[in-house]
Amino acid sequence: MSFTLKIKDQVEERVIDGDLTIKDLLDELDLSSETMVSKKNGEIVIEEETIEDGDEIEFIQIIYGG
Amino acid sequence: MESCTKCGNPNVIIKRKASGQALCKDCFIESIEKKVKQTIKKEKFLEKGDKVLVALSGGKDSVVTLEILNSYVKRYIIELCAVTIDEGIAGYRDEGVEIAKAHAERLGIPHKVVSFKESFGIDLDEIMETEGHRGSCTYCGVFRRWIINRAAREFGATKIATGHNLDDETQAILMNYLEGNMENLAKIGPKTESNSEMFTVKIKPLREIPEKEIGLYAIAKGLDIHFAGCPYAQESFRMEISNILKDLSKDHPTIMYSTLRGFDKIRQALRQELAHDYEYDRCERCGEPSSNRLCRACTFLEELGK
Repeated sequence: MSFTLKIKDQVEERVIDGDLTIKDLLDELDLSSETMVSKKNGEIVIEEETIEDGDEIEFIQIIYGG
Repeated sequence: MESCTKCGNPNVIIKRKASGQALCKDCFIESIEKKVKQTIKKEKFLEKGDKVLVALSGGKDSVVTLEILNSYVKRYIIELCAVTIDEGIAGYRDEGVEIAKAHAERLGIPHKVVSFKESFGIDLDEIMETEGHRGSCTYCGVFRRWIINRAAREFGATKIATGHNLDDETQAILMNYLEGNMENLAKIGPKTESNSEMFTVKIKPLREIPEKEIGLYAIAKGLDIHFAGCPYAQESFRMEISNILKDLSKDHPTIMYSTLRGFDKIRQALRQELAHDYEYDRCERCGEPSSNRLCRACTFLEELGK
């Protein structure tokens, strides 16, 4: 099973190995949920949302330092 | 999965740790607008007939400020105008300026873009190439305030609205307290209260909304936003405080609200004890209000040989 991950202009296909939530993915990428909004297939979702085969996941950074 | 605490919609976009609420998109948008309007009412930010200048960078805070204040324009309570400042930061500022222009045009709001270059004869990129400069944020803050104050007078604005959010306010409170800078601490508040008529009153409609929720609101509403970090942003004391507050908020989700609420309770006492009204005169060089011979902007410009 795989899904598409989009962050800014970068798009990549990733393989799911077992159950994966948005929070798991953020942790894996060392991204903070405090600074990101997550979308699944174009809709905003909370970090408990499960990622499924064929999903398009987008992380939008809304908070920048400085 | 939880459903919306208010309407039962299963598509929840936020779980607020501070209140335990889970909200769907529509209920979240409504809750933000309601909260901002409560702040505006509580702090008596707006009077019928006000002309409010929004300092519009194209970032989430200023665009959301403009969007929510526009609901008062639709009800014929206030007029809006906006100014966008082009500091002259290559590869960063242009996108924000274009987004700001598009929002002003979409809402039919009089808008002007003012650059550091046209105002001061030097832009931020050039300043950062000079030897012994004071750091980007020092110039940026002072020069932006100069332009915003002047733009407010040119537009005939009665108020200036900025996008300061809950995170900004609590950071400022903690920073000034921890540094023992009590005079600056006493100046923090929902609106500036200078006795001088040379300054336009500044208001902060978003001061009770966490930064993250402003970003979420902007995305939920489908607003075009300039999401990008300033290339000159650097490690600063503010950033350290911001990180401490974010860490604390994980286990103490109400910490920023309580910091602000507690501060608001002692604010008047602090002002009485510590704030003193400066005697304002005109800056000899530019004519803007200043308590010294030269205002800070002109002091910096003389240092820069401008």
